[in-house]
Amino acid sequence: MSRRWLIDNQGLFFMAPAMILFVVFVLYPIFYIFNASLYDWDGVNEAVFIGLQNYIEMFTDDRSFALSIRNSLYWTFLTIFPQMFLGFILAHTLTSGIPLQNVFRIIFFMPAIVSPVVLGIIWQRIYAPFGGLLADVGLETGARFLIQPYLADPKIAIFSTIFVNVWQWTGFSMLMYVAGLQGLPGEVLSAAEVDGAGALQRIVYIVLPLLRHVHLTLILLGVIGALQTFALVYMLTKGGPNHATEMLPTYIFQKAFTLQSMGYASAVAVVLLLIALGASIFQVRALGSRFTIGG
Amino acid sequence: MRRRAAKTVAFVFVSLLALIWLVPIIMMLVVSFMPPDQRAPRFGGMLIKGVSLRNYVTVFEDAEIVQHFINSMAVTAPSVVLVVLISSLAAFALARLRFFARDIWFYLLIMTLMLPIPTLVVPIFQINKALGLNDNYLGLILPYTALGVPFAIVILRSFFAGFLREIEEAAILDGCTPFGIYWRIMMPVSWPAVAVVIIWQFMTSWNEFILALVTMNSVEVKPLTLVPLVYSGQFMMRPGPMFAILTLITIPVIVVYYLMQRFMVSGLTSGAVRG
Repeated sequence: MSRRWLIDNQGLFFMAPAMILFVVFVLYPIFYIFNASLYDWDGVNEAVFIGLQNYIEMFTDDRSFALSIRNSLYWTFLTIFPQMFLGFILAHTLTSGIPLQNVFRIIFFMPAIVSPVVLGIIWQRIYAPFGGLLADVGLETGARFLIQPYLADPKIAIFSTIFVNVWQWTGFSMLMYVAGLQGLPGEVLSAAEVDGAGALQRIVYIVLPLLRHVHLTLILLGVIGALQTFALVYMLTKGGPNHATEMLPTYIFQKAFTLQSMGYASAVAVVLLLIALGASIFQVRALGSRFTIGG
Repeated sequence: MRRRAAKTVAFVFVSLLALIWLVPIIMMLVVSFMPPDQRAPRFGGMLIKGVSLRNYVTVFEDAEIVQHFINSMAVTAPSVVLVVLISSLAAFALARLRFFARDIWFYLLIMTLMLPIPTLVVPIFQINKALGLNDNYLGLILPYTALGVPFAIVILRSFFAGFLREIEEAAILDGCTPFGIYWRIMMPVSWPAVAVVIIWQFMTSWNEFILALVTMNSVEVKPLTLVPLVYSGQFMMRPGPMFAILTLITIPVIVVYYLMQRFMVSGLTSGAVRG
């Protein structure tokens, strides 16, 4: 390497620590799971090469895997859109100059900074069928529909879990919209008001289109968030009852560390990785190529 | 007049919603103060007969809560420092220097943001095993840093890119090296972006769960986030001490967030939300 080359590429020295960490803890693990997914391996004994057998089993004969794919879809759609809708309404209200709006912003954002482990344990007591908050409110007020086996009924457990997630992350959407609303050009809005546009018209035709980059960021973060959900599900239901709330991450964990099937877990991880990459590429392509976080 | 009325309605609506929103957090606090002799609490424990600090005493007596707090700090603090240093160096190079395959490196790093962490849990467990880092703080510090660097680079790079080049050009004429520009000119005025990086990395490292769960097996090295699992058997029938633990886990993140929150909105606007 010549001196000239080193001077021209001195940026590489600045980049080196980040590159090394990236190679060891991101790039190598990606190769690792692709390779490990082709083996029958318990993590201790000699791994046996079995080709695509793990994938064939996953897609033809694995109910838990199918359920975790279904749940990921529920999770993605039932989190992102309610969160954006509610987050925007809150952000709009909390930038309109009502009293204490900064305090309200902190309150709505607070669940986002609390550990999902903590929230999981709290919500278990809210959902508990005997002595739980919702059940007892139902008993006292006669609103008996509140008495439900929220986490024990395989039909509703996934929705109860998603509800907690929406509650936790709506404040984050709100904060992103607050940041976006504060960056809007005020002249455009006042001009529209002078021209006689009503409040709702201004929101629908001017504000929402101008916040396009915030919508896109929230969708992208929402998809990734849905795909990597682990702690909340693990604490609330451990993926049960009978895999009804299984997500791909809880399934990977169970296969790898409870059932000692490192090879099979790696195959599930490969599928999760491909879904995540596919979803991000699709979004960047379909929703706007100018979008990058930051950019 | 109509505006005043609309604002009043909005205020009442938001106040009610905020109250409902806070119920789980209030519940955490209330149950943690529940007297130990109160059996079978109703409303999930929202109604308590008197306030008692007994649960906190129990937690400090029966659980190594201080040790777990130190463990969390020993993992979180180094990862925050490393992320700030490593990502600001890289962000400076990406914003200002030319080097081989610069754009490819940037896109590779950004790709990490799209990577669900659970896909990496098996290989990181095996890497730590090979390096002898299971049950070791470094076994979490290094992956947390690696996974935190890309987001930090995104925030810092767009912040650095917005600087005026004239100042740097003057500094170069005066014989300043690129490292001098980074360290003496850019970093001192970048605290709004650095603050966002610090908050984000602190919260993600403090709350991270799945990697901690597979890396830390001995009770002595477990960070706070695993503590509810450690004591769930012991405190199964006693929600009071368990909720005292939950409150103690949550206080540090609330404090850090409160101290730093004024930077959060401005930082997000300058970095993450730029189309």
